[in-house]
Amino acid sequence: MELKPSYLQLTPKMGELVWQYYPSDDLLAVQLGYIKLLQDLFSDQLIEWRQGFTRISVVWKEETGHHQFQKLLSILDPEPVKLPEQTWEIPVCYDESLGSDLVNFCDEKELSSDQLISFHTEPTYRIHFFGFLPGFFYLNGLPEILHSPRKAIPSLSVPTGSVAIGGAQTGIYPCQSPGGWHCIGRTPITLFDPKSSSPVWAKPGDQIKFKPISLKEFENWSDANCFFIKG
Amino acid sequence: MSEQKGLALILRTGPGSSIQDQGRILGSQFGIPSSGVMDQKSFFWVNHILQNSPNEAVLEISSPGFSIQFDSPALVSIAGAKAFVTLNSQEEANPSLIAIQKGDILEIGRFFHGSRVYLGIKDGFQSPIFLESRSFFTSITGQSMIRKGDKLDFQAFNSYSISPVKAKPRWNSAWFEGKELKAFKGPDWHLLSSDQQEKIRKTEFHISKLSNRMGIQLEELVENLLPELPTNPVFPGTIQLTSGGKLLILMRDSGVTGGYPRILQLSEESVSLLSQKNPGQAIRFLVKDF
Repeated sequence: MELKPSYLQLTPKMGELVWQYYPSDDLLAVQLGYIKLLQDLFSDQLIEWRQGFTRISVVWKEETGHHQFQKLLSILDPEPVKLPEQTWEIPVCYDESLGSDLVNFCDEKELSSDQLISFHTEPTYRIHFFGFLPGFFYLNGLPEILHSPRKAIPSLSVPTGSVAIGGAQTGIYPCQSPGGWHCIGRTPITLFDPKSSSPVWAKPGDQIKFKPISLKEFENWSDANCFFIKG
Repeated sequence: MSEQKGLALILRTGPGSSIQDQGRILGSQFGIPSSGVMDQKSFFWVNHILQNSPNEAVLEISSPGFSIQFDSPALVSIAGAKAFVTLNSQEEANPSLIAIQKGDILEIGRFFHGSRVYLGIKDGFQSPIFLESRSFFTSITGQSMIRKGDKLDFQAFNSYSISPVKAKPRWNSAWFEGKELKAFKGPDWHLLSSDQQEKIRKTEFHISKLSNRMGIQLEELVENLLPELPTNPVFPGTIQLTSGGKLLILMRDSGVTGGYPRILQLSEESVSLLSQKNPGQAIRFLVKDF
């Protein structure tokens, strides 16, 4: 598959790499290759870059950054990055006392809560990037049967650790926030620590899998960390 | 010149005021908003007047009824919104540079025009640094705004007890009185119909009450028939067209990615100008081709 992006200059100092494809592992591997290229060859000319599902935005220190980058792109395709095989396991308690929308969501989908749990825990999800909130993963891989439009009226306060579904996506709220996704459970682990020099333990390209735990296990969970399991 | 720690006590504050610097650029890869001062132009000016390095932390004061007492001598500078400023109940007609003595009380009363006052101090306020920035943001610094009774650290310099102020510069706020915002076409501008584009170019929009450090909503609607798009990067100054047809201008505390069409991107100067607008005020977009 040809996954060469085009480059769109937006403002004197901002531009973005544009891919006209749906998010996928292949596209992510190519995107991470371009990010590595930016970091390796252009770090002294960059203010910052930001990653999305189908774009990478770049802010240059000087206007000349656009031209030098475009010139290089015309002669060079970076190697796609090999995506990690390993997977983080994230414990989730799917109890209606913790997932405030669990019952409604199951009713809407005509699923039992056991069916919902098995659909949600079965896939291995890929972390594409962080956005929305500090430490919030954008994951790819939610089964189509669980896709559900966001709430018409967002909740004013979604608790820290809430595991939720919105549109074609699932994610975890790393901190308390207003939010429009349907909360189906909660994880006891910490997703974001601002006091650490690496505030998140996972990185784009890593995989995660949800593991169901009981309410008792949730309440007694002592380790805020998460560990790699074999992929 | 002896250097000692000074403390400034917040005696009174309205909602929404905070310590800010240029923000935390390094955090975006973890999904952390950049934060930082809303109006960079006023921020750079106060640091320049104080002969600070450009990124020293300042107080961003977004509502009247603010009062602060200093326990040591200091040098402060005020810019941004034009407001009624008093030192120990005496009006300061030109607050661009004020020598503070031990025990002085500085107050900011009503705002004449503009929306945010910037109070800078020699060498900056010394609140804790997270990810290379002092800017308040709840999930990073544990606090989103200053409260009555807070004590802010600063470097006191006794040499300022001798009045150092000769020719005082005067802050000119005329630059934020205009209503034209310079905007570049965003990545999704081309998805709009020519009627929608025309409407966005011609309409005089008004700032909604639903405006804060995360984003500024506009009152007038623009019909949105666009499909939901994949989530992609956004920045302060990105203008999104929401599913309900509202224009939402993302500001300093907004998330780093968004799913709504990104139709325009404001110039940095226009982000500062917009930061000084109040709900109800009019703006227009001057859409630039790049």
